[in-house]
Amino acid sequence: MAIFEVDKLSLHYLTRFGQKIHAVTDVSFSMEQGEILGIAGESGCGKSTLVNGLMGLFIPPLYPTSGDVRVGGESLMGRTPEDVRASVLSRKVSMIPQGAFNALNPTRKVKDIAADVMAAHLKGVDKKQIYERLKDRFDLFGMDTKRVLNSHPIQLTAGERQRSVIGISTLLNPQMVIADEPTSALDVTTQKVVIKMIFDLLEKGIFSTMIFITHELPLLRHVANNIAIMYAGEIVEKGTAEQVVFDPRHPYTKALMGAMLSAEPGQKHRKPTAIEGAPPNLANAITGCRFAERCPSVCAECKQKKQEIRIVGERQVRCDYAK
Amino acid sequence: MKLLKNLLKSPMFVIGALLFLSTLLIALLGPVFYKVTMERVGAQYGAPTAQFLLGLDDLGRDYVSLLLRGLRSSLFVGLLAGVIATTIGTLVGIYGGFRGGVVDDVLNMLTNLFVVIPSFVVLILISASFKEGRSLTLIGVIIGMTTWTWSARAVRAQSAALKSKDHISLAKLNGDSTLRVLLVHILPYIFSYVFMVFILQVSSGILSEAAISMIGLGPLDTVSLGTILNQAKNTGALGDGIWWAFIPATVVITLLVFALYLINTSMEGVFNPRLRK
Amino acid sequence: MLKQYPTIRFILMRAGWYFMTFLVAVTINFYLPRLGKNNPVDIIMGKAGSGLSSEDARQKEEKYLQEFGLVKVKDGEIVRNAEGKPVMASKLEQFGNYIKMCFMGDLGTSFQTYPKKVLDVIKEAVPWTIALQLPTILFGWIVGNVLGALAAYRRGVFDKVFFPFALILSAFPFFVFGMLLVYIFAVLFPWFPAMGGYATNLEIAPSLAFLSSAAYHYILPFFSIFLILAGGQAIGMRSMGIYELGTDYIRYAKSLGLKEGKVLMYLFRNAMLPQITGLALSLGTMIGGALITEMIFSYPGLGMAMLTAIQNSDYPMIQGCTLIITVSVLIANFTVDILIGFLDPRVKAGLQMGKGA
Repeated sequence: MAIFEVDKLSLHYLTRFGQKIHAVTDVSFSMEQGEILGIAGESGCGKSTLVNGLMGLFIPPLYPTSGDVRVGGESLMGRTPEDVRASVLSRKVSMIPQGAFNALNPTRKVKDIAADVMAAHLKGVDKKQIYERLKDRFDLFGMDTKRVLNSHPIQLTAGERQRSVIGISTLLNPQMVIADEPTSALDVTTQKVVIKMIFDLLEKGIFSTMIFITHELPLLRHVANNIAIMYAGEIVEKGTAEQVVFDPRHPYTKALMGAMLSAEPGQKHRKPTAIEGAPPNLANAITGCRFAERCPSVCAECKQKKQEIRIVGERQVRCDYAK
Repeated sequence: MKLLKNLLKSPMFVIGALLFLSTLLIALLGPVFYKVTMERVGAQYGAPTAQFLLGLDDLGRDYVSLLLRGLRSSLFVGLLAGVIATTIGTLVGIYGGFRGGVVDDVLNMLTNLFVVIPSFVVLILISASFKEGRSLTLIGVIIGMTTWTWSARAVRAQSAALKSKDHISLAKLNGDSTLRVLLVHILPYIFSYVFMVFILQVSSGILSEAAISMIGLGPLDTVSLGTILNQAKNTGALGDGIWWAFIPATVVITLLVFALYLINTSMEGVFNPRLRK
Repeated sequence: MLKQYPTIRFILMRAGWYFMTFLVAVTINFYLPRLGKNNPVDIIMGKAGSGLSSEDARQKEEKYLQEFGLVKVKDGEIVRNAEGKPVMASKLEQFGNYIKMCFMGDLGTSFQTYPKKVLDVIKEAVPWTIALQLPTILFGWIVGNVLGALAAYRRGVFDKVFFPFALILSAFPFFVFGMLLVYIFAVLFPWFPAMGGYATNLEIAPSLAFLSSAAYHYILPFFSIFLILAGGQAIGMRSMGIYELGTDYIRYAKSLGLKEGKVLMYLFRNAMLPQITGLALSLGTMIGGALITEMIFSYPGLGMAMLTAIQNSDYPMIQGCTLIITVSVLIANFTVDILIGFLDPRVKAGLQMGKGA
């Protein structure tokens, strides 16, 4: 049974002049217990907006346009923010944000931020219990627990901050974690430490299901079961990691693979090719395929006709001409 | 250009700009259509009549004439102080922010020092020292030279943020002179901020002149809105309820400052997109 | 140095910086009155040299020469040349004399109220100024910030009514608003007294009559400063609040399911910090504005003392007032600076990394 379902979700931003920017359009997928779904795409393709939508976090000027998100069968839409906050966030779905430095309240110690999370969801626990549980949890992460907990964010290293954020996000053993580019602001060594930490937590059963969002496709191949590729607010291809990485069918996925540098054997002499052009302006109404302007195999018809998801080679592809 | 278009969409900006332009026009063209005279034309504090719409002052002078002259003085002093303060502040800020290191530390310390030492105290001391020859121009220069610290702080922050941008590093690698980098590569990017700072400096110049004139250290060679108010207070017109001695002057000065304030606030809104929501 | 005591180190460094600023301020206070043509110091020197007839006047002039540090002094006596005339000191010696007097708390003797000491006149005025300005600035700051934060967080109707109102208030120059209040509430509708700090027929004493009269005279000047200040602070806080609402840490806090009150607390607390810094930066302007308000209301504080001094060309008094005002602004700034250091861990951390001032 799916524990998390997204059904034709569309989201938009409302500008000061009343203009709507359709940042996410028609996104559908569902998550099984234990699944790790990778979502990849260029910067600005709507990944982070989607994360907000998946958690029911509609902070103006972001608004839901249509569609639904269901956690454990219950819809997030039309519920009061207080209800979503108390019953879903941190317990069922939790986010690991990118850029831990900006995500941590700069004037609060790590232990206090963590204690705020526990206090917001657990009734009848006193401060002492909270700090004890915190210490136990942070001891798992192989850091100098006492110092990290008693520090303000500015006193920590980038790696310590990111690990603290992961610790805080998973404090209440959420069913599912949405990791929003958790490694993109880090150097390579720290990236490895953070990835290892996330998988340690998975192994220890602190959480079991994860959506991992990144712009680094090669990383996804190693961590995800399934991969979805986003372009201009839409999912254009979704399949198993092997399918999407080694046998992409959508022209955009193919182009994305071509644009990647790779350390695989036999790839040494292959030159990465850039994708010409830029994504469409999402403030305008788009009738045809969103990738048409940049697609190498574009035809007259797909400039006009909206492309729908269809099944090609056992995976979903949003292109009528993909084989 | 795109900026101007966005600004024109903001009603606040349009009102502010129109208001300011009309005061400018009145100050410049008023004396063409209205016979400005500084002579005694009637009794002390004569009430408004059809001929003298806003009445007469302590010396029996026509208030409309005084206000036209005062408005021109205030605008002059504000613009003069604004130009001086913005120029010094921009040079100090842009250079310090761009150079960094010891130069920046020294300039920054100097700026912070004069932010903390109240500029009106310095203004009072200098004005009190010039017992003779305290002209409107001198006061404008002094105000400009004591209030530049605000511009310096604002510009420094912007210029320091730009310093590490790629095109600047590239220009430096190309061996462009510091002056060229500053003028060609940094100034255009922060021009809008410099303009905002200028607006604020003009407004603070107008207010500083009025304040220093109010306490009796104003220009000795002309009438300003501040000296009109000083006279109203000193001769007891305020306590006696002779409204034409101070209401028109306060209204003019408030409109002037408010216009500049609207322009500045609306520009801030356009530059800081988060405020737009 | 003192690495293991970051707090003490922080306070000492700020104190050192402010002490240096104080020295600069004193230098300015010394130098500026000697700047213009026919400046006050020249006038005194000219008078002293003009061979005064009466012994009384001569003593008075020489007293000023000594107080201004213009003549050489040995063992408290003026050094004289063969003709009995005082020996003039060099500029550097004058400066040394001036600094020495400042540190001894001697601000000289007033021209106007001779032989009253400047410090005594100031001592009478300062309590009035503190009583008026300290509560007004603090209260105005707090009220303005709370309202501004609410406007930022709530938006909607409250914001739509409140924002233009605050905008107009904050655009009023201090003295204009003061004059309008006097005209409306003291002249047009004589509900409040137009001037003074208490009814003139009363003695300054802790009596009920005096206190109630003082309170009655307090209302108009209080509001004329308070309203403008609160308006300006509210506008600033509203901008900061809106800015902070869009930050990552607020989004993260919301995503963790923190209670609304807690998120609001995060927001207020952090939006408040730039407001406190702003307070530190604009204290000089505020105090200056408030001093002019005092003048408009003829309030018996420092502003009025300075106005009287200016009108009578009482230079020792003017110089004394400017020095006291500068020192108070410095002390207030120092206090706010230390406060920020305690409230914002980034400030102290920044200092530890060697970015002072």
